[in-house]
Amino acid sequence: MRILKADNITMKFGGLVAVSQFYMELNKGEIVGLIGPNGAGKTTAFNMITGVYKPAEGRIFFQDEDKEVDITEYRPDEITKLGIARTFQNIRLFKELSVLDNVLIANHLRLKSDVFSSILRLPNYVKEEKEMYEKSIHLLEDVGLQDVMHEKSSSLPYGKQRRLEIARALATNPKVLLLDEPAAGMNPKESLELMDFVGDIRDRFQLTIFMIEHHMQVVMGICERIFVLDHGVTIAHGTPSEIQNNEKVIEAYLGVD
Amino acid sequence: MKKGRLELNIIAMALFIGLLFLFRITFDSYKMKILNLCGIYIILGLSLNLINGFTGLFSLGHAGFMAVGAYTAGLLTMSPAMKEMNFFMKPIVPFLAEVEWPFFPALLMAGVISALMGFLIGSPVLKLKDDYLAIATLGFSEIIRVIFTNTQSLTNGALGLKGLPIYTNIWWSWGAAIFTILFMVFLIKGSYGKALKAIREDEIAAEAMGINLFKHKVMSFTMGAFFAGIGGALLGNLLGTIDPNMFRFVLTFNILLIVVLGGIGSITGTVISAVVVTVAMEALRVLDETINFGFVTIQGIPGMRMVIFSLLLMIVILFYQQGLMGTKEFTWDWFFNGKGFRKTLKKEVK
Amino acid sequence: MTFQVFMQHLANGISLGSLYALIAIGYTMVYGILRLINFAHGDIFMIATYVAFYGVMLLGMQLWWIAFPAAIIFTYFFGRLVERAAYRPLRNSPRISVLISAIGVSFLIENLAIVIFGGRPKAFPIPPIFNKIIQIGDVSIVSITFFIPAITLALLVGLVYFINQTKTGMAMRAVSKDYEAARLMAIDVDKIISLTFGIGSILAAVGGIMWGLKFPQLVPLMGLMPGLKCFIAAVVGGIGDIRGAVLGGFILGLGEIMLVAFLPALTGYRDAFAFVLLIVILLIKPTGLMGQKLTEKV
Repeated sequence: MRILKADNITMKFGGLVAVSQFYMELNKGEIVGLIGPNGAGKTTAFNMITGVYKPAEGRIFFQDEDKEVDITEYRPDEITKLGIARTFQNIRLFKELSVLDNVLIANHLRLKSDVFSSILRLPNYVKEEKEMYEKSIHLLEDVGLQDVMHEKSSSLPYGKQRRLEIARALATNPKVLLLDEPAAGMNPKESLELMDFVGDIRDRFQLTIFMIEHHMQVVMGICERIFVLDHGVTIAHGTPSEIQNNEKVIEAYLGVD
Repeated sequence: MKKGRLELNIIAMALFIGLLFLFRITFDSYKMKILNLCGIYIILGLSLNLINGFTGLFSLGHAGFMAVGAYTAGLLTMSPAMKEMNFFMKPIVPFLAEVEWPFFPALLMAGVISALMGFLIGSPVLKLKDDYLAIATLGFSEIIRVIFTNTQSLTNGALGLKGLPIYTNIWWSWGAAIFTILFMVFLIKGSYGKALKAIREDEIAAEAMGINLFKHKVMSFTMGAFFAGIGGALLGNLLGTIDPNMFRFVLTFNILLIVVLGGIGSITGTVISAVVVTVAMEALRVLDETINFGFVTIQGIPGMRMVIFSLLLMIVILFYQQGLMGTKEFTWDWFFNGKGFRKTLKKEVK
Repeated sequence: MTFQVFMQHLANGISLGSLYALIAIGYTMVYGILRLINFAHGDIFMIATYVAFYGVMLLGMQLWWIAFPAAIIFTYFFGRLVERAAYRPLRNSPRISVLISAIGVSFLIENLAIVIFGGRPKAFPIPPIFNKIIQIGDVSIVSITFFIPAITLALLVGLVYFINQTKTGMAMRAVSKDYEAARLMAIDVDKIISLTFGIGSILAAVGGIMWGLKFPQLVPLMGLMPGLKCFIAAVVGGIGDIRGAVLGGFILGLGEIMLVAFLPALTGYRDAFAFVLLIVILLIKPTGLMGQKLTEKV
């Protein structure tokens, strides 16, 4: 069943076309990869799907329960609320805040109590807050960060920061998770661990995952389908083995004489 | 909050109220005025810190909100006879001429009107960032001042208002200060406060976590304006005289000084620094004035006092960029164990 | 309104606009390079005027042509000093800290001026050449009204030449585009930033002296309002762009004069005009009339 569809979305910066007519469908439960050389427009495609940029052309649709919603004009926070969460290429944690707070903040969007119930600590708020804490601590245990939950998030080692960013995205209760180069800067062993981790959370949280990644081992090992972008254009789409043997892809990566 | 700390807080509060009683008996009227000012500046400092320190919005519009609060409370509490005396150039608008409210509702109304202004101003300008926001809020505060100077029948223009009833006493000023402190503590420790801090840390990430930036910014700004209005009202009814020129940029600067010295994003820091700065401002007044000891006269240098405060601000911001206490808070643990200041974030453990 | 009166207002508006433009360029240059409002710019302008005043007091009115340039040179170094003391130490700090430092140094200069120069207004000396009444038909206009746009134009031509044709100017443009990259190209970024402050201060000094000749009353806070207004002019025109600063300066100068001329009832609101204009522009076109859109990289 289709959960997300980008229907020929295009993004221009001034005269430069960063992404041109990108068409993509995600089915529920899939892990799909997005690869391409640097500057191919991968993050731009993410930014359009998550509402950071408004596409110049094309629409984006999200399957919300039993109805399809056009989210092209939605704000990033509305899109997250609907069920699309993301991580960032250059880790964007709330640096001065604790690991636990980072995850708690991601729960805020589901809070029903208003600000005055929060200040007055009315029973409805207290109950919700307790649930938020329990859920967050549970989540941190799940991802193996419970020991450092009171540390300042920027004091964590790099790999754990990446993991926290994913945990934080999970805390928003997403249906679709967009990972922007989750294995960047990791050594082969860490990358493999991350691969297991991604597969694991997909099953446990019933997610659909769309990820940008450069580590071919990771992409080929975990993704069921792959899109390849080059200079903003989708040059290939298919299963890992199809992509590996696609001439255009080899050209884009190695260049032609 | 750990058990036992609550008792400590209550004991400290009781001791403090006792202290206020003691001050009331022993202090002369000049010292009482300073004590009142301390309470008022705590309110003002905290309200600016909510906007600038906790939400990371650089607003310079506080003087404008204070003016709105001071004028609202002033016009509502002045007696009809006093109003007639004040408005000799042009009569006051009819709907205010016969009004004479008790202090509490007038104070609340001052906060509400100011919050309303904050909401109306915030809705357009909070789309801006950093310097632009700073200059736009400063602009609004100047516009408010210019309007108050020119609307004779509403504010008595440049002449200002004289003879406001002196309702503000230490119970009002410190009562409101304690209320503000509690409000801020509960707000900041709760989920909404965390959302505000997330916005301060990284707007793009906060928005990606589903936080409605605009709604939260407007909320913080409106709350800040509410307390600025209350502070302004308390100030007006303490001094008894207000005029538009009181609410120049210098006033915002003084509050900013308190926030920076105390720590951009620290509640206890702001409270301590509000008291220290207010007392020091008065103590250093001697620098500006010529004092005659009978046998020797020390020539005062007008402006010297503010030179010292500007220097102080410069030194603090150059060497401690988050202010003296940064985002740290004073806690009982520190007091008893001498473990050093603890970060707010470590306290929020259940 | 008769034609003569209108012409008088127009001349006034143009000379005020030129002054605003000159000072606005200083803001725009610093902003272009550091992304920072130099809150102290208005105070640098004030210092220049006072130094010129004391120079003329010292040397006598006949030697104004020595006193004024000397004041301009002094201001050049003063501007660089301010940069060195208040901005350079915070080069890699959060923007809020830098803004606070900017406000702090501005207050420091103002209060030092109160201590050193005294709070009482002083009358700026006007050399006779700037004070002649010139008759054109029925319109009589003071000569300074012509000097101001002429001098502004000359400085503008010089500045544009400097920025576009000299090597230092090129370095300046490079730093304003991307100062990390400029550093890698072996440009001494600190030196270029300091120089930018210096040049901005020269323009502020010329503006300040001409301001004194047009409105000959000196007070230590005289830089505050013109400073804010010129920043607004820079924003309205599109900050970071010199043409924008000039455009904004003229819109503001002419707008203010014409507002008072055509709607005398609003005279009291004259100082609010700039702020209203600012807010309207920021809401409609936040990048200013000539500014380009910047997208934050995610």
